Amino acid sequence: MSGSHPLHRVAIVGVAATEMARRLDATSAETSLRAALGALDDAGLAVADVDGVAARWPGPGGTVFQPGSADWAEVFGHPLRWVCDTYPQGVPAALDAAAAVAAGLCEVALVFGGQAGVMGGAAVADYTRPDNEFLACWGSLTAAQFALVAQVYRHRFAPDVERVAAIAAAIRNAGSANPAAVMAGRGPYTAADVLESPPVAEPFRLLDLCLATEGAAAMVITTAERARDLRRQPVAILGGGAQWHRQQYVNPPRYDEVWGLGADAARRAFALAELGPEDVDVFELYDINTYEVVRQFEMLGLCAEGEGADCLWEAGIGRSGRHPVNTDGGLLSYSHIGWGGPTLKIVEAVRQIRGTAGPGQVADAEIALVTGAGAGAQYYNVMVLGRG
Amino acid sequence: MDGPAGQRRDRRLRPLTGQFWAAVDRGELVRPVCRDCRRSFFVPQFACPRCQSTDWAYEPSSGRGRVYSCTTVHRPPTPAFDAPYVLADVDVEEGWHLLTWIVGCRPEDAAIDMAVSVRFVSGPDGHRLPAFAPEETVR
Repeated sequence: MSGSHPLHRVAIVGVAATEMARRLDATSAETSLRAALGALDDAGLAVADVDGVAARWPGPGGTVFQPGSADWAEVFGHPLRWVCDTYPQGVPAALDAAAAVAAGLCEVALVFGGQAGVMGGAAVADYTRPDNEFLACWGSLTAAQFALVAQVYRHRFAPDVERVAAIAAAIRNAGSANPAAVMAGRGPYTAADVLESPPVAEPFRLLDLCLATEGAAAMVITTAERARDLRRQPVAILGGGAQWHRQQYVNPPRYDEVWGLGADAARRAFALAELGPEDVDVFELYDINTYEVVRQFEMLGLCAEGEGADCLWEAGIGRSGRHPVNTDGGLLSYSHIGWGGPTLKIVEAVRQIRGTAGPGQVADAEIALVTGAGAGAQYYNVMVLGRG
Repeated sequence: MDGPAGQRRDRRLRPLTGQFWAAVDRGELVRPVCRDCRRSFFVPQFACPRCQSTDWAYEPSSGRGRVYSCTTVHRPPTPAFDAPYVLADVDVEEGWHLLTWIVGCRPEDAAIDMAVSVRFVSGPDGHRLPAFAPEETVR
């Protein structure tokens, strides 16, 4: 890259993910800290090097007035130059941290988070039960909000349900092969297994939907200059963008407004990277459910609207397919950890580009696409990563 | 007392939305209408989302509409709900839409584009809710 764009003057230099499980015997704070220290160790940096933080503060202790990144300054034992509490995870935090580093507001930004010891026995995680007064009274849940979008798609295009289910099976089989995945060793899954799993909210069945698990993830971003002296192959942010359609879970998402959500962000991200979606070697997509994978390929322009399931069936989404997707097993099978799930996408993409991804490694992966959120959430973000 | 989302426990006393719920309790469906651009909108906001005017008022709705999308929920978020039920996004004829239930038919018969009209039902906490049922007359 030319280095003329600010985002091209920084690099991701460390990543980490903790053990993942349905329930961990630890607190969210302990697990988050473990991920943070892991990412610093991965980079060859120390806590003393950190001068920027983007992280939720889960307690115990700290302030009760707007808890957040500043609470971590207390734990790290020194003042910070930059904090970001708006969306401290995944692509938005990576882009915010990159912009801060590029602008010289801080030099070493640490983004981390997750959850532990919080998942109870409820049918769904509490954060999937928005308590807005025009949603909660109807028994809405996040899966149902996404289902309202998928139902219009099905009504208009009648996609082959086995080919849609095959997407969940393929991603879950990647998770089966990943020893770090919550669902490691389970399966193998077929499309029939997905279609025979219990219904949740039409068209979604249990195996179409992501996990709600525990663990934490972290990443470290610094200047490209400093990255050259660190332990690992730096990973460059070639491009990125976000779209905030409206606040999530207030009004139901409308297919006609959100099926293409992200197209503008992706267009800008790829323009900045001087690449196109067809140049991507590995896709770490936000797989809250199967139809979101279909949607993202159509939104990116790699498949025409209504043809995503057939297109992916023909291309193949396994590690040796034309479009490898969610090589760690994704949110469906690896893990989905509250304020850390979106960061897991970046962890896997960085490892793919380094060539250290384990069983899911795609041969010669140079360009990775990372995405976050989706149609039902009414916001979305993308980032193109490559070798730094 | 405030609820988990900072909402007044007596829904008829909530700012912005109290009049909506009070109307529901009377068996009436209303929606915010902007006095400047005359558009209907929902959910209620302090300003019109199309022209940003703060001069709006609740007006009665015909309660007739069409199903924009619907999904049958088999696994409710809490045990308070009896599954299966049909969650729907209904386009109401004055140009607004809301999340609601489709009632008065089997879940498998609820369909996108179906003509529906409002029918007040009892929610899990005993409060009245504006659900929608298939129109009985053929248009």
